[in-house]
Formats: sequence, structure tokens, C-alpha cells
Amino acid sequence: MRATLTLSKTIATVVLFALPLAAQQSKPAAAPAKPAAAQAPAASQPIALRGGKLITVSKGVIENGVLVMDGGKITAVGPAASVTIPRNARVIDVKGMTVYPGLIDSRTQLGLTEIGAVDMSNDLAEPSDQIMPHMLVEDAFHAETELIPVTRMNGITNAVVTPSARNTLPGQMSFIQLAGKDRDEMLLLRSFAMPLNFTGAQRRRDGTPRYPSTRMGMATQLRQTFFDAQDYANKWAEYEKKNAEAKDDKKPSPPKRDLRYDALLPYLQGKKPVVLTAAEPSDIKVAMQLAREFKLKVILGEITYAHKMLDEIAASKFPVIVGEIYSAPRSGERYDSVYSLPAELHKRGVKFAFASYDSHNARNLPYEAGYAVAFGLPWEEAMKAVTLNAAEIWGVADQFGSLDVGKTANVVVANGDPLELKTDVKQVFINGREVPMTSRQTQLRDAYQAR
Amino acid sequence: MSLVRAFISRACLTALLCATALAQMSQPPAPVDTVIKGGTILTVTHGTIENGSILIRNGKIAEVGKTVNAPANAKVIDATGKFVMPGIIDSHSHTALNGDVNEVTGPVGPHLLMQDAFDYTDRNIYHALAGGVTTSMLLHGSANMIGGQAAVIKHKFGLDRDDMLFPNAPRSIKFASGENPKRVYGGRNQAPATRMGNFTVQRAALQEAREYMREWDAYDEKVKKGDKEAKPPKRDLKQEALADVLRGKVHVQIHCYRADEFLTEIAMAKEFGYKIRAFHHALEVYKVAEKVAEAGVAIATFTDWWGYKIEAWDAIPWNPVISMRKGVRVAIKSDSNDYNRRLNQEAAKAIRYGGATEEEALKMITLNAAWVLGVEDRVGSIDVGKDADLVIWDRHPLSSYAKVEKSIIDGHVYFDRALEGYGLPFWKGGPMTGGGGFGSDDEYREVR
Repeated sequence: MRATLTLSKTIATVVLFALPLAAQQSKPAAAPAKPAAAQAPAASQPIALRGGKLITVSKGVIENGVLVMDGGKITAVGPAASVTIPRNARVIDVKGMTVYPGLIDSRTQLGLTEIGAVDMSNDLAEPSDQIMPHMLVEDAFHAETELIPVTRMNGITNAVVTPSARNTLPGQMSFIQLAGKDRDEMLLLRSFAMPLNFTGAQRRRDGTPRYPSTRMGMATQLRQTFFDAQDYANKWAEYEKKNAEAKDDKKPSPPKRDLRYDALLPYLQGKKPVVLTAAEPSDIKVAMQLAREFKLKVILGEITYAHKMLDEIAASKFPVIVGEIYSAPRSGERYDSVYSLPAELHKRGVKFAFASYDSHNARNLPYEAGYAVAFGLPWEEAMKAVTLNAAEIWGVADQFGSLDVGKTANVVVANGDPLELKTDVKQVFINGREVPMTSRQTQLRDAYQAR
Repeated sequence: MSLVRAFISRACLTALLCATALAQMSQPPAPVDTVIKGGTILTVTHGTIENGSILIRNGKIAEVGKTVNAPANAKVIDATGKFVMPGIIDSHSHTALNGDVNEVTGPVGPHLLMQDAFDYTDRNIYHALAGGVTTSMLLHGSANMIGGQAAVIKHKFGLDRDDMLFPNAPRSIKFASGENPKRVYGGRNQAPATRMGNFTVQRAALQEAREYMREWDAYDEKVKKGDKEAKPPKRDLKQEALADVLRGKVHVQIHCYRADEFLTEIAMAKEFGYKIRAFHHALEVYKVAEKVAEAGVAIATFTDWWGYKIEAWDAIPWNPVISMRKGVRVAIKSDSNDYNRRLNQEAAKAIRYGGATEEEALKMITLNAAWVLGVEDRVGSIDVGKDADLVIWDRHPLSSYAKVEKSIIDGHVYFDRALEGYGLPFWKGGPMTGGGGFGSDDEYREVR
């Protein structure tokens, strides 16, 4: 194992050296304005789901409803009596079924991992440095992973893919669709957000300690990095100004491009959100302080043990990617202190979404939301926290998160309450098309059951 | 008083306080006639009784039915609108072992007793109790081909150590094969580094124990015949433990994943003449379920955990139900301080994946799990004569929304959600030990 690890490090180093040469000429990439799904090809024939219980999320529940999908979009939603089904539509009877928007998992490593213990099947985070904002999920995303069909069969149609929390800044996230012809169709938003992890797990303590081996080191390194990036931005601004003013024969030479700082700048300028991820109140406070100092656009992550600072979190107005709520309570706490966190956030008006923080069992996302209901979260809010809230937090609510006309037709048909363990998902539609309800696991099941 | 002396006296005081805190474990309570009234009773063995009652006497279930003959002075627990099920049994746990799950200094350690590592103040016992677990089997880890002997506990959190041990529970021993022993010993360039090595190490150990057993049998024979000169062989704890396995005195619990490993283990058990009680993890049993059923081996498995290593790559969530339909006795277990807080949810997934009935799903975390431990005649269902280990839920326990209201062991409420603070009537305060770790054989969860 050790030998393999060293080898993989060597390869990574070579690639790192090779990259800047190719990238040197290009300017920092601007944030993509629209998810790529807008350009995806449409299904040819409208599909109408008739007679189901529509859980719209945005406008309540419609018993005996009709939903029409066409061209990859939802084109009609309403009570059966009031929706006219297009003449050429394929009508699917979904009487007795629930119909709801595809679920969004707000933090997974889908596409970055295949088999946990097999290093070569994992691309989770670069271990050689903490400050890795220029590592891009889209460069590693394995569209053909066996994990995606397994996950989407439970009604999860979109996810935020995030490098592992090994580094304070492990790289930038992608927003994906869990079906598509290839990676380009599935990566809807690339490098659209970035985690900043401050949980203690980032301290470099394995083997000989390296900087930063403490939280002091982590925070100081982040501050220095942000100042350096601002410096870098100033140099470029100065150059652009001089360059614009200079005569053709006296053009100044540009500063050296730095991929790290180029990657960081949109975040330091508040153009893209940083997901401040911390579990303990003391860590959350440090992360929030950093965010204030550098005027970051903040989404909070985890906040597992924040029970005693929830008012402060509510006052900050930062949205939260909560979880996972199955984390064990700390010493001195009641058994349900973490289970009840979503309900407490809701009471204080905090906008939050759930995340599996998992890959192989990202499929259990709806059950996490269900368990929060057991511990006091209203069911409607739990549904929102796996759909519309997530879409709003990630800035894609115009296309995802509810059954509304004009949105991408990511729609799930199941035989019951989406958050109930016993409920079986019968059909998933992504971009208005039926996704095959098969996975490597169903193939194994069918092969051996028949023997 | 000098500073030093002040410090010393404070240290003494702290030590004294700690000692007092430890000494303050509750005494086992005296039995009280108790009647649980008005709940939906999920007996697991004889269906559901709507609006039923259970009479508890001397810590046992004395009556169960639509009505019971409760004495007027019986303590009443009103379960109107609630659901009552047998206490959940976790047939594979490493909780409360104080970080000492694996003795990794040698692949054969049958003489180790998990009881010696059992930390009875570990808060993970409480967390599981609050999730409805009343009994757990604490197993050695999977680093060794032959690991130590299990401790079986009741989650009477707040009582003293010895009062938490399941009285007269059959002995169980943990065997393991596959990747974990390969990784641990292969990583040091020792055997076993392959599955060939796995089973050769196991076979060699059993062979040695067989010889040891024969020496003792010969000695016993001589003594029986009145040979006063007979000299006893040297007593060897390791060989003695394995000889007990060969004599059928210890339940053999085997951690393994792959279809071929089940067949190898079944063949080796036949070769040496012992019985395997259960395969643990057992993620590929669906591939050879008939043979596992024929060998009379149960499984203690996960529902949907998969992909954390190669031998878990062919895991499918339909494994429990496919195996059950082909005749295998199936238990669902936690192997973790995470899942043991919500085993009801893991069982409910057997309905979603494969269509188990509610009773079948419940059996996987109660009666079938009790069988794995060998205590199925004493716990695991709501039947007259069994220990009054019961869980009262606010709704059907196989729902995402279900919460435990009360966990009852031997007729006494050990967890009550309605109580302030921890909800623990027998915990006298003081520090709880234990960390939040995953506590598993297979700590392969990705760093998120």
C-alpha cells in the first residue's frame, strides 16, 4: 500500500508540473452563467404522468394530478381536471403512486471513488498540499461509475460532487446530473463552489508532522494564502491598467500566472460561494471569522455540534448544508442532540439542505431527511431540504428542486412517501427521459436469483 | 498550605470524586409486577395483537394477549397508540471495547476474552439503548483468523459491569478470513497474506488443537480407569479454547464476505467436526444461499453497506431477502456505533429491497439475531417465559419516522425518552466514557 501511494504521488507531481505550461495563456475562467442542461437535447415525445399524487414541493400536494414533460422540461403540472394532455403524449398511469422532484444530494463524492479500500479507484483529494483550490472535480469525474445508477435508483437525480475533506481547500465542486450520454452532459456546473474545511481532520499529523499540524497553522495558512491571492490580483489590476495606458511600444510585461490564485479569486471577490465546513462550535467560529475578514460568500457545512450557537448561525443568514445527522453525539450530550439539529435550524428560520456526505450510500439521503422528521422537523420542510432548498442554495432553483412548469424534468415516481424506508422507487426521469432502473446490483440480483 | 500540597490534596479529592462516581452505579432493581397496556404488540412469533397487553412478573413475560390478569397493584405503562416489539438484538457489535477490538500481534487468539475489554460506562451503550437495542454480542475484530471470545451484554446502562453481562449466555468465538487478516499480516510480510494463507493458518491451528484435545482425552481416559500415575498435559489456554470449539462447546461466528469463503469454511468445519453458527457480513451469501442454508449456518449481515473494499463489491441490498427465501436464517446487525442506534431502519430496508414482510424484517433484528447468539429461547420475541426485554415506539418501528419511547430490560425501564436529561433512570451521573468512532471491523468510510 505504501509503495502504491508513493507512486501515485509521483504521478500527481508530474501532472502538476505539466499543467501550468498549457494553462498559462488562458485567463481565469468566469463562472458559467447557466447549467449545461439547458443545451442538452430533448426527448422527442411528450410524456404525461396521470393520476398520481404530485408532491410539488413549491405548491403543496396535488392528489390525482397530471404532470407533462416535453423537450426535457416540465410543461404542465396540476389537478387531472385542469391539465390538458397533449394529443401526441405517451400517457403513463401512475395512480396510487407519488410523483416528486428528483432529490438533490448537496455533498457527495460520486464519480471520485469506486472501491473504498482500493487507492487506484479513488480520486478524492490531493494529499501533497492543503491549498488546492485549482483541483477541479470535473477533471476527475468518472461519469461511468457504478455508484451513479445505484444512487439514482433511489430518486436522487442531482448532486454536488466535492473532493474529500482531507485539505482545508481540497478543490472546487461540480453540480452534476445523475444521467447523461457522457461526462459533458452530466457536469451541469463546473467549479461553481468550493469547500473550506476546518474540522481538525486537515491537520497534517500522520508520520512526521508537517505544516499545518494544528488549527492555528490551518487558519494562519488560509489567511496568508488569501492575502497573497489579493496581492496577486492587485498586481494584475496594476498591469491591466498600465497596459491600457501604455503606448504600443512600451507595453509592460504581464505578471506570472498562478493557477492557485486564479482559482481562488472568484471566491475572494464573492462571486462564487465557499462552503465553510466545520462541526464543533469553536471551529465554526474560526471559519466564520475568516469568512467575515475576507467577505466570502458563505454556505455553512456540517455544523454537527452547533446546538449552542444556533442563534448566531441564524443571525448570520448563511444557508447550511446540514449533516450528516447520524453523527454520534459528543460526551455530555443527550442521544438525540444531532438528530434534532435540523428541527432546531428550522425553528430559527435557517435555510438548509441535507447531504449524504457519502458516496456508496448516497442513496440513503431521503431516510436521513425522514429521521429528522422523527425528531421534530415538519415533513414539508424535510422534503424541501432534499429538493428546493438545495436548488436555491446552489443557485439553480430556476431549473431544479420542484415540480414547476419550465423546470428540468427530473421527476421520480414511487409507491409511497419519498422519505419512508419501505417506499420503492418505480421510475426515475432525468431531463424528461426514463432512466433505466438497473444497476450493477440489480444485474447481480437477477443473475443469481435465477440460478 | 503550600501550593504543592494544595495541588496534591485537590488531586486526591478528584480521584476520590471519580471513585465515588464509579461506585455510584445503580443496584439491579427488585422485580415489580408491571403491565404494559393498550399498545399494538408485534410479537414476532405469533403475529400482531392490536390494543393488547403484556404482564411482566419477575422480569419475565408472564402473559401476553388482548387482556392479561394483572394484579391491582401492578405498575402500569400506558402504551395506547404505541407499538411494542421485542428488544433489538445486535448480533455483531464492537461497542464499548475501550479501543481494544483487535489483538493484532498474532493471527490466532482464541483464548482472548472480550469481557476483559468491556467498558460498561461507554456512552455508546446508551446511544444504542435509546435506539431500542437491549442485547449486543461484542465480538473480537477481524484482524485475526481466529479471534477472541465474545461478551454478550444487556444494555442496562447505569448498572455495574457484572450486572450488564447476559447471564449464562453461550460462548461464541470470532473467526475471520479474507481481506482484513491479509491486510494486517500481509502488510508485515507475515502469513496470512493471501486466502491460501488465511485457511492454512486456520487449519494448522485447528490441527494443533485437535492433538491437544486428544492428549487431554487420553489423560482423562487414564484417570477414569483409575491410573493414579497419569500425568496431566500442560495446560495451554489457547489450545484449550480451540479444543472447546472442536468439542462443540463454543459457537463459531465467522467474518467473511465471498461465496467461495463460505464454502471453504463449511468444508473446514466438516473436516474438523465443529458447527458454524453464523457467517458475519456475509455479503455474497445470495450467490450460494442453498448451500449455506443446507449447512444450517445463519448470517448476520448489513442491508445496504457496500463498495468499501473489493470483497464488498458484489454486495447487493437484496442479499438478506434472497438468502432468507432460500432458507437461510438472516439477522441484520450493526458492526458499528452508528448503525446500532437505528437497526430498525436497517431492517425496514429488507422490505424495500426484496419485499420482506414486516414480521420477517423484525425477526432479522430480534429472534434471528437471538439465534445467532444462542439465546433464542430467552429473548427475541414477545412470548410467555421470555425475558421482558421490550421496546415501546411512538409508531411502527419499521418507519423512517419511528422513535423509541422506552427501552425495557428484564422488566425495568432503562431508557425513557420522556425523562429530562439523558432519559436514563439508572445512570447516576458522572462522566460517560467512549468516543464517537465508527467502531467497526471495516473502517473504510471515506474521509468526507
